[in-house]
Amino acid sequence: MKKNQLWLGVCVVILCLGILGGLWVMRVQSDPSVRIVQNGAVLYRFDLSSAEDQTFTVEYEGRSNIIQIEDGAIRVLEADCPDQTCVHMGWLDSAAPIVCLPNRLVIEFDNASDETDAVIE
Amino acid sequence: MVAALIVCFVSCSHQDSEEIAGEANAGFFAMNTYISMTAYGDQADSVLEEAESRMKELEALWSVTEENSDIYAVNHSNGSPVTVSDETAEILSFALEMAAETNGALDPTIYPLVSAWGFTTEEHHIPSDDKIQEMLSLVGYEKIRLDENQVQLPPNMMLDLGALGKGYAGDTVIQLLKDRGILSALVDLGGNIQTIGMRPDGMPWRLGLQDPFGGENLGVLSVSDCAVVTSGNYENYFIGEDGKTYGHIIDPVTGYPVESDLASVTVIAAEGKLCDALSTSLFVMGQDRAVNFWRQRQDFEMILVTSTGEISVTEGIADQFSPADNEEVDVIYR
Repeated sequence: MKKNQLWLGVCVVILCLGILGGLWVMRVQSDPSVRIVQNGAVLYRFDLSSAEDQTFTVEYEGRSNIIQIEDGAIRVLEADCPDQTCVHMGWLDSAAPIVCLPNRLVIEFDNASDETDAVIE
Repeated sequence: MVAALIVCFVSCSHQDSEEIAGEANAGFFAMNTYISMTAYGDQADSVLEEAESRMKELEALWSVTEENSDIYAVNHSNGSPVTVSDETAEILSFALEMAAETNGALDPTIYPLVSAWGFTTEEHHIPSDDKIQEMLSLVGYEKIRLDENQVQLPPNMMLDLGALGKGYAGDTVIQLLKDRGILSALVDLGGNIQTIGMRPDGMPWRLGLQDPFGGENLGVLSVSDCAVVTSGNYENYFIGEDGKTYGHIIDPVTGYPVESDLASVTVIAAEGKLCDALSTSLFVMGQDRAVNFWRQRQDFEMILVTSTGEISVTEGIADQFSPADNEEVDVIYR
């Protein structure tokens, strides 16, 4: 009897580990990963769920964009461009990329968004 | 063993999108915007390379600022006739057709006015009434002469195909992809969306509709095999010294930015060029005229957002639009 109970206990533990493992894999797959692309070249990739709060500058032809990551979100904080569209877009939150046309800069999610394939804008 | 199976099953069911067979992606700047294309099929990546080249060729023909473009030649012809490429002749013919059908709400000769407001150089300012009148005398699609491949414009008038260039180029790319056997694709031309078929998993493409007042999307539009384009002043505007908001969509009749009762117009149709042309025109027309216009045709559907935030959709796509929480949607019936 005791031996059976022991085996039952071991199986329950393995089952729990399996379920937890499954959940862990799911969590990893849905982490928001972003990429920063300038003139077609990927400059940086970030996993927003683990990235530290930071600001940094990217430059193109002497003009800069200051990019900020805070609390798992990313945006263009300041930009040397006439229209400031990239700044007005605020925090990246959908399939619509943040684009700075004059500075050839694109900030977008790396994985397909869960809810939409693209944004009509 | 059960646990091992569970872990295996869960990790295998989350396929990275890049593992889907035959997916290709391309992203590049052209036509004054960022273009992103996704296609599924054999050789999809080389097809997308071809599509990118084709778009850049069209840009080279239609750019207002590139000195070697057809449009530049016409705009600097001082009244003489200019011979243009087949592509330019075709898009111009379409522009003239749409200008007539919308009673001038769409006018490809509006460039001098748009320029006077500073939207072409990002040096925004409010022109004087005299300047506006002067520019208005240079606007009028009926003054364009198009005879096969010959274009003639009165001196100082200028053409700009920006209102439908992306849609027309998008159609060209979609046709190219179809000719090469692509059955599933999504092309995003700075927010103008054109699709072939459905997503590879057999579901329609899910398109978020931007809220013209900022914030979360208004809802999701599910589509397949069609184009969707939105127009509104909310992305390109300036605040004048008088504190008023001036948008980039100019009314060809008054010379002033449109003061519409609409915040955005979204058009859904089979072809990008129709969506592109109509979304601007309907915005200029305002809600009542836009609804009447829709009732007289069978070739498009639309979603209107008024300046007070009310959303209405035409009955043909009411079932395909899923509003975000707390959004009420009215249906426009024939």
